[in-house]
Amino acid sequence: MLSDFSLKFQAEEQPERPLWRAIQSTEILHFVRSLLLAYDVIGVQKKRGRLVLDSLQDAADLVLEFPPAVHSPKKFLFPHWDQLFRFKLDENILLEAETAAPPRIIFGMHPCDLHAVKILDDCLFEGETDSSYRAKREATLLIGVDCTPDEFCFCTSLGTDRIAEGFDLFLHKRDGHYLIQTGSERGRKLLQDHAPETYDGPEESPLPLQVKQCDNKIKFPFESLPNLLEDAYDDKIWQELGHRCLGCGSCTLLCPTCYCFNVQDKLEISMQEGQRIRTWDSCQFDQFAQVANGNNFRSSQADRQRHRFFRKYKYLWEKHQRTACVGCGRCRRECLSEIEPVTVLNQMFADSPQPAETRPGSEYQPQMAQIIDVEQLSEKDRLFRLRLPQSIDFTPGSFMQISVFGLGEAPFSIASAPDGGNEIELMVRKAGTLTQALHRSRKGDSIGLRGPFGSGYPLASMHGKDLLLVAGGRGLLAIRSLLQAALADRHNFGRITLLCGARDIEALVFPEDLLDWHRSELLDCRIAVKDPDNSWGIPSLDISYLFKDLDIDPQRTIAAVSGPPEMYRQVNPLLFRMGLAEENLYLNLERHMKCGLGKCGKCQINNIYVCECGPIFPYSAIKHLGEAIER
Amino acid sequence: MKIELDYLTRIEGHGHLIVERDGDKIVNCRLQVVETPRFFEAMLQGRHISDVSTIVARVCGVCSISHTLVSLKTMEKALQIEVPPQAQLLRRLLSYGETAQSHLLHLYFMALPDHLGVPSLFKLLDSKQELVARALRLKRTANRICEVVGGRSIHPVTTCLGGFSARPEASELKKLRQELVATLPDLEATVELFASFEFPAFNRQRNALCLAPENDYPLSSDNLLSSNHERFPVTSHHQRIEEYISPDSTAKLARCEGDCYMVGPQARLRNGQQKLSPMAAKVATALSLEQTTLNPFENLKARLVEVIHCIEEALHCIDELLLRGMGRVVTPNIPSLAGEATAAIEAPRGTLFHSYRFNTQGIIEEANCIIPTAQNLASIEEDFKRLLPQLLDLSAADIQHKLEMLVRAYDPCLSCSTH
Amino acid sequence: MKMKVGLFDFAGCEGCQLTVMNLEDQLLQVLQHIELVEFRELMTETAEQIDIAFVEGSICRPGDRQRLKQIRQRSKVLVALGSCADNGGVNALGSDRTPEVLRQQVYANDLPHLYTETPQPLSAVVKVDYRVPGCPIDGQEFLAILQALLLQQQPELPAFAVCVECKLAEYPCSFDYGQVCLGPVTRAGCRAICIDGGGHCRGCRGLIDNPRTSPYHRILEQHGLTVEEILDQYRTFNVSEKAP
Repeated sequence: MLSDFSLKFQAEEQPERPLWRAIQSTEILHFVRSLLLAYDVIGVQKKRGRLVLDSLQDAADLVLEFPPAVHSPKKFLFPHWDQLFRFKLDENILLEAETAAPPRIIFGMHPCDLHAVKILDDCLFEGETDSSYRAKREATLLIGVDCTPDEFCFCTSLGTDRIAEGFDLFLHKRDGHYLIQTGSERGRKLLQDHAPETYDGPEESPLPLQVKQCDNKIKFPFESLPNLLEDAYDDKIWQELGHRCLGCGSCTLLCPTCYCFNVQDKLEISMQEGQRIRTWDSCQFDQFAQVANGNNFRSSQADRQRHRFFRKYKYLWEKHQRTACVGCGRCRRECLSEIEPVTVLNQMFADSPQPAETRPGSEYQPQMAQIIDVEQLSEKDRLFRLRLPQSIDFTPGSFMQISVFGLGEAPFSIASAPDGGNEIELMVRKAGTLTQALHRSRKGDSIGLRGPFGSGYPLASMHGKDLLLVAGGRGLLAIRSLLQAALADRHNFGRITLLCGARDIEALVFPEDLLDWHRSELLDCRIAVKDPDNSWGIPSLDISYLFKDLDIDPQRTIAAVSGPPEMYRQVNPLLFRMGLAEENLYLNLERHMKCGLGKCGKCQINNIYVCECGPIFPYSAIKHLGEAIER
Repeated sequence: MKIELDYLTRIEGHGHLIVERDGDKIVNCRLQVVETPRFFEAMLQGRHISDVSTIVARVCGVCSISHTLVSLKTMEKALQIEVPPQAQLLRRLLSYGETAQSHLLHLYFMALPDHLGVPSLFKLLDSKQELVARALRLKRTANRICEVVGGRSIHPVTTCLGGFSARPEASELKKLRQELVATLPDLEATVELFASFEFPAFNRQRNALCLAPENDYPLSSDNLLSSNHERFPVTSHHQRIEEYISPDSTAKLARCEGDCYMVGPQARLRNGQQKLSPMAAKVATALSLEQTTLNPFENLKARLVEVIHCIEEALHCIDELLLRGMGRVVTPNIPSLAGEATAAIEAPRGTLFHSYRFNTQGIIEEANCIIPTAQNLASIEEDFKRLLPQLLDLSAADIQHKLEMLVRAYDPCLSCSTH
Repeated sequence: MKMKVGLFDFAGCEGCQLTVMNLEDQLLQVLQHIELVEFRELMTETAEQIDIAFVEGSICRPGDRQRLKQIRQRSKVLVALGSCADNGGVNALGSDRTPEVLRQQVYANDLPHLYTETPQPLSAVVKVDYRVPGCPIDGQEFLAILQALLLQQQPELPAFAVCVECKLAEYPCSFDYGQVCLGPVTRAGCRAICIDGGGHCRGCRGLIDNPRTSPYHRILEQHGLTVEEILDQYRTFNVSEKAP
């Protein structure tokens, strides 16, 4: 869950309409002077001849036009030396955790750094809220200011050169004065209390979003970064970076969003008591990934650089749908080896296999596949075996779009396992006009196909684990694909259990397969139907009943649950009660995926596109999405 | 009777004390300096002038600042580099800090235990808490001067050819000033304490040498002044001062016009008492230090007077710096010139000479350092000879203790003297 | 029982012992937890048995070896204090010449009491359990190491380079001024005090465990500097150590 706090921040604190007001430099000076009486004011100032971000002593020292080279406000929001709690040694007692933070104002933050705070919020409020960060974040007001990008900035490539919200106040530079914009109720009040308006003119009209110019540019849309990296795991560029990198960690230490840390105990000189502190750590350090036996699971500098890029542009994207990079250029500016993310990414893009020149609109055009077999599964269900012109690569849980010209297109889960060949099975239940038309197709006919789309179950990461597969109704389609794949590679998995539930026998999708699996020794297959008068003569049971005498080892089990949302609401708590970890539970969140390209918006759950990021998700990734399984 | 004391304690560096007596006759009496030669003068050969001050600082931890400053002064003289006034004031301040901390370390930790009858000040941790705490407080403040100006109390990091590579902020100086003012009660208590001690009466005429007190108390001058009222330029020191080797010492000894002489606090006081700061002058009077006093045991009093002088002058230095306004540090270009020069500075223990010759690439071809303690060594031995006949009635342990106290009174820095 | 701690010195400037002394009020607090039993510079007392011996300076004469062995025998734990003890330090700067040549250059004399050998670290003579690097040592690091030893923990030195300290403290990079700097390959723990003082790093704390030599050399070249220049700096405190 995103913490209530950050939601509050964005929702309740946003004033109804931002206030815009002109403010002269002398007024700013008075403003800061007044703030200094009540707050710890952090600002850029000259110390020993260099610009640093630090606590202000004198309002006149504040520098508002500063280059992007100074430290980011991470220095104060997530400091390098942060006391978590104090302890006493002999009594073994823990003293109260350190959550107090002084009321503070960071006066002068460039848009990229304001974006960086959003990323820190994403990461540190996720799951167990980091209370120490939260305390500082709550006590700190953020005042943004315009900037001038230098040759290392690439914020324009990431959309972080402008900002519409996420600050309390923002100072826009105009000719000879500033235009101040309120971004929150707190900001408006701060302005009222500490910079009372002396000028009685009309309110300024709002400025449009201020866009910057950077010469340093990523030459492709940043949304393709996760996919670009996905294919670049073994790219030679990591070796090249590994050879250039000093491993000094400057890039991550100065990064406004890098927050990886180490936790240490520091004893007071009295040796009676001490504090547990956290300090910044860096994935670029030799010891970062070293474990107790001396092994290092990221032992080369190439691995470490790759990790840094993946974390910035892929891993956190997958969690929060934004890059963990704001294009501030600090990592490059301070890198003696001149490792420049923009150059690296552009080179990787240039080296990546580019899709063949496609005709406009071709992404919507299906290719033709031949029906090589049709099997009547039940009165309403038919299984089609299709042959494509070329081999097809997909993960279990992916789907295809079937076209019937004249009637349109509809998505269907692939019901067979990926086998590297060019044949797949799709199950079609007769319902509307399109499926009725499909049911009329015969062996040898051709139909239109687009796909595969979506991302399914990560099969390789399930190796060595027990599988608990839970299917409700048509949810069995994706599960069948997964199960067939696992059975084809049986020795790579531990125990396999399939629990399948439906309204009645007719609603079971693959009755024959189910009976086969039920008899098989390769897996434990249990079936429950609610209909008391079913033709198989099994007692009327709800699927939850199948969990009653279920014996699983939660540490080594991966659960794949596929069915309607009400089943998730029923089954998920049972699994968690057994001790299953949230990241080991996969749900199928199929929606009406119209285009399959992450564009049409029909399958969108809150802010994510199911067709692109799913339909198979680990629970931990979607639990915060209100629209996923809640009503 | 034979007294052989290996490794004298509560002095800087390694030395043995040997006394042999046959009836009423002393047949042998020596201070052996057994400090390891480290050959700094040879090590400097082949090094670039920009590294010299960093290396020579390591001659001695206690007086690293003096070595740093005199080496810079020597090279600046050779290259005719003008040091800006702000940097000159900062260097002066740095010197005061070093002298004060060195003297306080000696007074409280090396010398005081003799007068309180304990083997070390740490013995008084429980019984005289306030005394130990005061000693550490005073030392702290003196060290703070060195830290604020030099970046670190030992082996300074902000000094460079032509001035400074970094300077303190005005706010830091203001804070330092407050700390210095706050030590005055501790200084008063220190004066009271040392005024209460009796020092053995032992006056001996000798030549006392220091840099000439021209505008102020001896610190940094191009001329030397002896208690015989002779004034001569530092550059001609080798015409009078001669280094020589003794089979008893790894440090080279020195004589002035063929005779032993004294350098250090007492020499400076003797030749420059009229230039003491007002507070220090008062204390000198209170401690009944006369200009003519040359009782080596009373070196302690002279040292205390100098501590007060240093603190008072440091305050003036800070005021002047703040009044001028702290300007940027300017580091001059180092001209590619060959050069040769000698310069001297008053280090805590006396006059410290450095001489270098370097080529146009700035590579040192020859270096020499004359260390205050080396200049005092002959004087100490001479004192032994004069003092021992007065001690013959005492037990061996008492004789040994008196001689140890005599050596300590000079605050010898043996590692420095050997270098 | 308080642990018995002793400080000992061989050839060196005694600056590391003085750094301990300069801990002042912190030293006073430390003395609540240890018994200082031997510290020749400030104490007359000596001790038979020592729990932790901190030894400063390098070993240059046969007599030094004897004395060091005796200290080792008397001590449960022996810690090298400062770079002279750790690797020979600045004392070894003359090791490109024989002791005879050095003697002639400085004394022009060959009396036996002036005889020395090439300065060696303590570890050349006895087993050294731990080390406090630096010239001089950092007082706070000394305290942390002493604390660890008092609690019978393994003292740890930072594994990262001085660059980290510069970045944290927002110091400008020496390379930006065209100045050679050993910061990228030198073990941190000094709070980059020399760079703060407007200078550059001369590597007095020795190399990190895994210095990245080839990227480092490339960076030097890019800044118009030569490997020889950096080695010259490195030698100041590390003559006998492996070059970066």
